Amino acid sequence: MSHGPRIVHLDQLVIRPGSGWARLPLIAAAVGVVFTVVSVVLAMGSEENAKQFFHSWLVAVIFFLGIGLGCLFFVLIQHAAKAGWGVVVRRLAENLACTVPLLAVLFVPVAALGMYDLFHWTHADAVAHDRLLQGKQPWLNESGFWIRAVVYFAVWTALALFFRNASRRQDASGDDGLSRRMARFSPPAIALFALTLTFAGFDWLMSLEPHWYSTMFGVYFFAGTIVSALAALIVLTLLLESAGYFRGVITGEHLHDLGKLLFAFTVFWAYIAFSQFFLIWYANIPEETNWFLSRLHGTPENPASWRGATMLLAIGHFAIPFFVLMPRTIKRNRRLLMVGALWMLAMHLWDVFWLVMPNLHREMTFSLLDVTSLLGVGGLFAATAGWLLSRGSLVPSRDPRLVESLAFENV
Amino acid sequence: MGLMHLDVPEASGGYSHYGVLARFRTAKALYRACEAVRDAGYSKWDALTPFPVHGLEKAMGLKPSRLPFLVLATGLTGAGLGFGLQSWVHIMAYPLVISGKPLFTWPAFVPVTFELGVLGAALGAVLGMFALNKLPTYHHPLFRSENFARVTDDGLFIAIESWDPKYDDQGTADFLSGLGAVEVERVPIEDPRDDEGAA
Amino acid sequence: MAQSQDNTHEPVTGRAPLIVGGYDFRSLTEAVAVPVERKTPIGWWFFFLPSLALLGLFGVSIGWLFWEGTGIWGLNNPVSWGFAIVNFVFWVGIGHAGTLISAILFLFRQKWRTSINRAAEAMTIFAVMCAMVFPGIHVGRVWVAYWMFPLPNQMDMWPNFRSPLIWDVFAVSIYGTVSLMFWYVGLIPDLATIRDRAKTRIRKLAYGAFALGWRGSHRNWLHYERAYLMLAGLATPLVLSVHSVVSMDFATAQLPGWHTTIFPPYFVAGAIFSGFAMVMTLMLICRVLFRMEDIITMRHLENMAKIMLLTGCMVGYAYAIEMFIAWYSGNPYEQFAFANRALGPYAWAYWIMVSCNVITPQLFWFKKMRNHIGWLFVSSILINIGMWFERFVIVASSLHRDFLPASWDYYQATFWDFASLIGSFGLFFTMFCLFARFLPMVATAEVKTVLPEADPHQGEELVRVVPVGSDTDALAQAAPAGGGGA
Repeated sequence: MSHGPRIVHLDQLVIRPGSGWARLPLIAAAVGVVFTVVSVVLAMGSEENAKQFFHSWLVAVIFFLGIGLGCLFFVLIQHAAKAGWGVVVRRLAENLACTVPLLAVLFVPVAALGMYDLFHWTHADAVAHDRLLQGKQPWLNESGFWIRAVVYFAVWTALALFFRNASRRQDASGDDGLSRRMARFSPPAIALFALTLTFAGFDWLMSLEPHWYSTMFGVYFFAGTIVSALAALIVLTLLLESAGYFRGVITGEHLHDLGKLLFAFTVFWAYIAFSQFFLIWYANIPEETNWFLSRLHGTPENPASWRGATMLLAIGHFAIPFFVLMPRTIKRNRRLLMVGALWMLAMHLWDVFWLVMPNLHREMTFSLLDVTSLLGVGGLFAATAGWLLSRGSLVPSRDPRLVESLAFENV
Repeated sequence: MGLMHLDVPEASGGYSHYGVLARFRTAKALYRACEAVRDAGYSKWDALTPFPVHGLEKAMGLKPSRLPFLVLATGLTGAGLGFGLQSWVHIMAYPLVISGKPLFTWPAFVPVTFELGVLGAALGAVLGMFALNKLPTYHHPLFRSENFARVTDDGLFIAIESWDPKYDDQGTADFLSGLGAVEVERVPIEDPRDDEGAA
Repeated sequence: MAQSQDNTHEPVTGRAPLIVGGYDFRSLTEAVAVPVERKTPIGWWFFFLPSLALLGLFGVSIGWLFWEGTGIWGLNNPVSWGFAIVNFVFWVGIGHAGTLISAILFLFRQKWRTSINRAAEAMTIFAVMCAMVFPGIHVGRVWVAYWMFPLPNQMDMWPNFRSPLIWDVFAVSIYGTVSLMFWYVGLIPDLATIRDRAKTRIRKLAYGAFALGWRGSHRNWLHYERAYLMLAGLATPLVLSVHSVVSMDFATAQLPGWHTTIFPPYFVAGAIFSGFAMVMTLMLICRVLFRMEDIITMRHLENMAKIMLLTGCMVGYAYAIEMFIAWYSGNPYEQFAFANRALGPYAWAYWIMVSCNVITPQLFWFKKMRNHIGWLFVSSILINIGMWFERFVIVASSLHRDFLPASWDYYQATFWDFASLIGSFGLFFTMFCLFARFLPMVATAEVKTVLPEADPHQGEELVRVVPVGSDTDALAQAAPAGGGGA
């Protein structure tokens, strides 16, 4: 061929001191702290506000945790499949996954103070009159909940740190053995991840309505999590690229692949979400339909108040992105892909809101606390992510498959 | 020779032969030759290979296939017909309340709608591909070349047709040899009826 | 074949070869085409005739069913669905691995699939054929099978589109159709190969007619590859939907043990699991019989073992979650159904299922076991048995304990139940033997693309990395220093 090889300079792949990205951790942390304080102050206003705070806070924590955990899964699956194409974005995912310890800290208010407001099964008087809840006590009790939460976060943190550290050690040493080590550890890690994620979904979201149960729920939680993580990866990649990093590193080929995955998991989410709804709708057994009824109805005054929310989820989380993310040209167009990814992030947030909030409001209601909690948790999340990003190279610079990844072309 | 030689190509009148067929030894050589043929401005030509050479359409300067639009259309048609059929059957043709559900039970129509959408799209993909590729084409002048049987084995070919405006009998053959072709031959257009001796 | 090169160790720089034995385009064509062209080997009859005999048994058992009715089966009042539905689900499931290999692995760019996709897709089609027999015959009145189709008829009646059984009719027949098209599209270039090598007029006509005059034109490849990609993109959700729909035969009911939301993805995972076991069984035999150890290499077997481990764990996950949620639900019927599964009259079937499906594949965590031909063969058979029992457990153990204890009963299969099960294997293997005899068993055109010399940029340096802190200008101008490759 006439043209020579594409030259990629790795020294552009560190956050430049003094740049906006270098200042991000500080600014975001300030935003996060301010809004966290605002949220707490608002929460102390009244008992109602406290209830609202815990629900809003749970939405925000679950949303950002989903991004971190989805990125952890992305890293695991890259190693397990010995994938070449994704090496250039893997470091971003490794860093986002390491926000999990922060979210463990932010989860503490839920477990320490919010249990009574969030979880009906903690009400001793209610349990005393409810045979079903009595039967569930071996699982649904506060000490069990705490112990399990500690286990989940410990597993996720350990995995996230292990894979980020090993990968960064490789930056320094160039040791191929680390790639082999990570590939060897990733399959059992995926098994651990699957179990912890499932039961975390059961504990933190499904047990909000303690009578309801669905064997699919863990898969549903997983699907949404991956969607949000892929969307976040795309957004982060494009933001860094537009700030002048990744020049000649991220190509349309990588974006196309990330876009394809986002599309695939959006469809997968829809498949899982529809199957769960459909089987419950079809069989029409009262103890199961309750959960969907509270998401399709409202109060006597406003009987369809949650229906719109559910329709928005069906259309916005599936129908629109299905057609928008399908064409190849959109996945290769940076601006359109950015819009698509931001849209999916918003929709996943809506999904989490839709999972949690009917527990508090029989009629769909927004609160200022929804916004302040999101900004509080989000600020701290962004600060941590930004700080992690600034700590080293933005790609695994001595990964033996880096060149393969850079030269990658779609079929 | 049987089924494969039933038609005469439309362009046969007035041309003494079909064109020049050149064989290349490696995929790399073929790729470069295609780039050269494209850059030389030929338009009526083709690369013929036993397997799809990755990225060769770029080297040949081919536009992407239009098939996806057709597939989207036939897929949506299939899904629409499926949904329409079910709704019509259960609301108009044979309304019957089953398991206490309303007549228009759209969630229950999703599986068949989906399946028929996939069927429509798949038929569109396959039949559309046949149509765009003009398959079946049992007769083609290239099959007259003894050498050409290698196209389904290990032969990597470029054929330039004699009705290409840039075609020049000797010049084109020399051009292809210059690109590293290991064999160059002129492929005749013959009347299929006195074709018994062909391979 | 002599000692084959070991390609199971994936290096971290570069990639291990997908096929070994030093094949080039020509010898690859030869290796695949010769089994189609040579005289029928004695060994083939050794497989074909017993298969044909079993097919005969299948015919007899269906004939007897039509004559006598479903009373020849062990059905009773609570267990009104027996082997017919179990066999149906089993065979549909077997088919799924073929589509996974041809479509999903294609989308994931798993190029090793090229050595096995042809045979796996053929397996899909034959498995779907076997599956479709059972809904057709299971009521014993084949002459009213047309009631399943949306045809205007003299009674002015229409099928109930709200019924999962009608979704099955659509899902499975469309799955069969799409699989057949996918398979045929893949076959076209290889049929052309056989046509161009044909020595006799009959061969030339027969293969030539189906090759459609394919001449490898790149203007054709362009649309062809696009069509293939889209078929893969369509077959992927289709295959998920098919076993999801099959699972809905059970899951839309209100019966404990059937009605559970995880059924759709769990059935899909199980289907792929069982299908891979069947592909493994078939490939282990074929690669020896047709001397294709260097094309269907140890690496292919190992990768299949990994997928069996993955899907086996998914199935195990589903079993565990079902158990957990049955307890967690607090619903006494749910709790009973699952306790009864593990400890009741069908406990033997349940524990066969668990040991074959969950425990057996766990050995694939060890590379040694993934590379052990004998164990691969044994485990593939065990997994097929286990997956058949999974469907049996779902059907029989959920049905035999009705809500009304007075109607409890035990389903005991009869000779004719077994005859139709074993007979369906006859149909499957007969078709597979014919396929292996008359069609190229490996997608030659696709395997050629994974040979290094098929890459038009072979050995070219596409990207050069300039490490941190180096004199960038000097490096950029320096001579190529390794790396590269696509």
